[in-house]
Amino acid sequence: MSNSIQETGVLNGNVSTTNSIFRTCDITGFKVDLRSEKLIRANAVASVVSLLMAVVAALLLVFTRYQPVHLLNAEWYYRLVTFHGLNALIFWIIFFEIAGLYFGSTVILNTRMCSPRWGWIAFAMMVAGLVISNIMILIGKADVMLTSYTPLKAHPLYYLGVILFAVGALIGVILFFGNLMIARRERTYGDSLPLVTYGLMTAAIIAVITLASGAIIYIPTFLWSLGLIQNVDPAMYKLIWWGLGHSSQQINVAAMVSIWYMTSFLTVGGTSINEKVSRTAFVLYILFICLASAHHLLTDPGVSSAWKVWNTSYAMYLAVLASMIHAFAVPSSFESAQRRWGYNKGLFEWLTKAPWGNPAFSSIILAVIGFGFIGGTTGVIFGMEQTNIIVHNTIAIPGHFKGTVVIGTTLTFMGITYYLIPLIFRRKIVGMGWAKWQPWLFFIGIALLSISMIVLGQLGVPRRHWDSTFSGGPFTYNFNPAVDFFWTLMMLGGTIAFLSVCIWIGIVVVSVFFGPRVNGPQDMQLKISPLAPEAKSHKGFEAPGTLVLTLIFLLVFLALFFLNWKWLAATWNVR
Amino acid sequence: MSLLSPAQGWYYKKVSKDEKMWMLISLVLCIMLFIWMVMWHVYGKQNPSSTTYKTSTTEFAQLAEAYVKKNMIGVDNGIPVVRPEPNSDVFVMGEMWRWSPVLVLEVNQAYKLHISSKDVMHGFSIQPVNMNFQVYPTYDYVLEFKPTEAGEYKVICNEFCGIGHHGMIGKIVVIEKDEDLKKYGYENFKKSTAATAAVGGVKQEISEADKVLLGEQVFTLKGCGACHKVDGTVLIGPSWKGLYGKEEKVKENGKVIAVKVDDDYIKESILDPSKKITVGFETTAMPPTPMTDEELDHIIAYIKSLK
Repeated sequence: MSNSIQETGVLNGNVSTTNSIFRTCDITGFKVDLRSEKLIRANAVASVVSLLMAVVAALLLVFTRYQPVHLLNAEWYYRLVTFHGLNALIFWIIFFEIAGLYFGSTVILNTRMCSPRWGWIAFAMMVAGLVISNIMILIGKADVMLTSYTPLKAHPLYYLGVILFAVGALIGVILFFGNLMIARRERTYGDSLPLVTYGLMTAAIIAVITLASGAIIYIPTFLWSLGLIQNVDPAMYKLIWWGLGHSSQQINVAAMVSIWYMTSFLTVGGTSINEKVSRTAFVLYILFICLASAHHLLTDPGVSSAWKVWNTSYAMYLAVLASMIHAFAVPSSFESAQRRWGYNKGLFEWLTKAPWGNPAFSSIILAVIGFGFIGGTTGVIFGMEQTNIIVHNTIAIPGHFKGTVVIGTTLTFMGITYYLIPLIFRRKIVGMGWAKWQPWLFFIGIALLSISMIVLGQLGVPRRHWDSTFSGGPFTYNFNPAVDFFWTLMMLGGTIAFLSVCIWIGIVVVSVFFGPRVNGPQDMQLKISPLAPEAKSHKGFEAPGTLVLTLIFLLVFLALFFLNWKWLAATWNVR
Repeated sequence: MSLLSPAQGWYYKKVSKDEKMWMLISLVLCIMLFIWMVMWHVYGKQNPSSTTYKTSTTEFAQLAEAYVKKNMIGVDNGIPVVRPEPNSDVFVMGEMWRWSPVLVLEVNQAYKLHISSKDVMHGFSIQPVNMNFQVYPTYDYVLEFKPTEAGEYKVICNEFCGIGHHGMIGKIVVIEKDEDLKKYGYENFKKSTAATAAVGGVKQEISEADKVLLGEQVFTLKGCGACHKVDGTVLIGPSWKGLYGKEEKVKENGKVIAVKVDDDYIKESILDPSKKITVGFETTAMPPTPMTDEELDHIIAYIKSLK
């Protein structure tokens, strides 16, 4: 191998290819393994298909719960809740993450894919899993919700589909580690992993733990559905299932935060103002999320209060602390870079003069805001033992995770796709005008949806419930009349978000399949910023604007915190 | 340089003042959150209990049924009503798709509720006070509630439990004084009905009319009413009105055959419901419902009476 391809750097203009399996990117200068690139494309396409299925189901669900329309019958409502959950939370996100892992471990490290053959085997298993589970759901053999709490039983093929998908994903994760090993041995990057890959590595480590939990619980459940095992204890099932269900959200968070740092680099040439701090925060995710399932057992029998309080917090909520650290580190990486570019006036010039026209940038900033203010605040408050009483299994819970996994993860993934289209699919983005609006539309839609669901939940409205008039029941119940307003708001938000996803999918599909080819840096519609200049000195505050914003966040959190505990204190006594 | 290796000396770079401040604030907050939860156990009045007993669905169903039989003071919309003594143990069972019994509680008195499920997971959600707990089969969760305000409360199920989930709704009435019973139409409930007395009594010849009464009680206790109505309306299962002696189309091993609804068919449908499934109700299969011969006898008499 010649020395020239060992060089890394941005915009070095090197267009020569020296090895048949590689191309050198004429825009970023990265050496791209063509076999890896094909895998990234395939996984990305599968993820977009999953997202499309998920959002079509979501729209039908919204218009079912919106009582004046009440679209689906009970059977199809529950069927599509299961379908939506699996496609949105599992298939869309994990396919995208596998694409991200391959990208982070080959392209960014200028190295080759350790085993493309196994990459395709993994992909085939995941697609097979997706097809089998989805078919079983749609023909009515798995009306068990995503959580499939025993003793609700689905057809064995449903569990088999999920297992196939998970094993495929696990192989993908192993390949990621294989790629890291090759890169390390061949010294294709400097002494330390780039921050993005480091973050993705933490995501991959959590993924191994998570997928192992999945195997531990889905395999006996599969055997039980075949009749080979007599009984799967419901408490054990719920405890271990959430080892998959909750910890996998930590994969999403780690992957999402990695992309946040990446976007700061791509759009303004920024990086974490202290990489050691950011890296430590990533490690905290691994160390303190092990029994995340405790968050789902707070109002359950079977485990004691001491167990619940300890395992949700480990005395100091270090996983929350990790997110709080990123909440400062990510915006400050933008701020610091912008200030070094000269946008130094006052507290917020760095923000007003930011590249808002770049849809990746606006996506990520909106994702940070939504994730923090909606998902993060409610996540911490709902995850405390006692306050969980007033929200457990209400629609506030999906409202909370719309704020984390939809505004946070999904919007982030959508945003970074605007870079993947030219860099990985080598096509120009068709419909840039639409692309500039899409993240805003999505943010507004999901924020409305999410906030109204949280309010509805606080008013007692249950989740996964077909008919809030309780038809056929011996009694009925009328919720606080305010619910009508929030149902309407939720319906509006859902519709806006659906339209936004349609726009995004339209842009992606048209660009990837019909867009003009990218032949060099001149075709790049989104800016790839050079590194921000070095700072002159580091005295005093490096990111005062960010500090103000995070303090505002803190005040909002405290307000919501006391509000929720006040509501709790107004309920009956229970012990 | 998040896409490139970090700059030289990144490991030794000093943390800036503002970032340090933020981390310190965050850490203090995180520790406070933990302390807050612990302190609420000491000073707060709402804490999920740690008391759980392992049980079996059959055992708990028997306990709950016996409890209701003994303490029932009446029936509200097909659900037995119980008025427990303050500080007593109360058995509440969730099953597809009803909560039983309806409870009449006194304000500011404590009651130990033993809650469990006969079949799948359920969610015990008291509205409008909005308190929510998870209910498992095979685990008896003991929660000591003290209602702080009088009024009518509903218990909705907020954990998916099958196709009839949305109709699973129970009732708790909290009263200040006995006169309040009037508000809920419970003023004429006595401590026990004639029928309940007969159940507890020694074996004796019972008249057909008494059998019908007892059958109605079985209907209430076993929760048949969650799916079967007796006024001709078709809910999740066929209505029982005019059912006895009727020709029904049923599916057996995938083949559609006609059967006459008689004693044997009713017995089989209760004990082994999936053997013959009535056409039109294929998606809402009935769970097997264990019953004694006596109970079967009574319920058949009750169905016969519904002309």
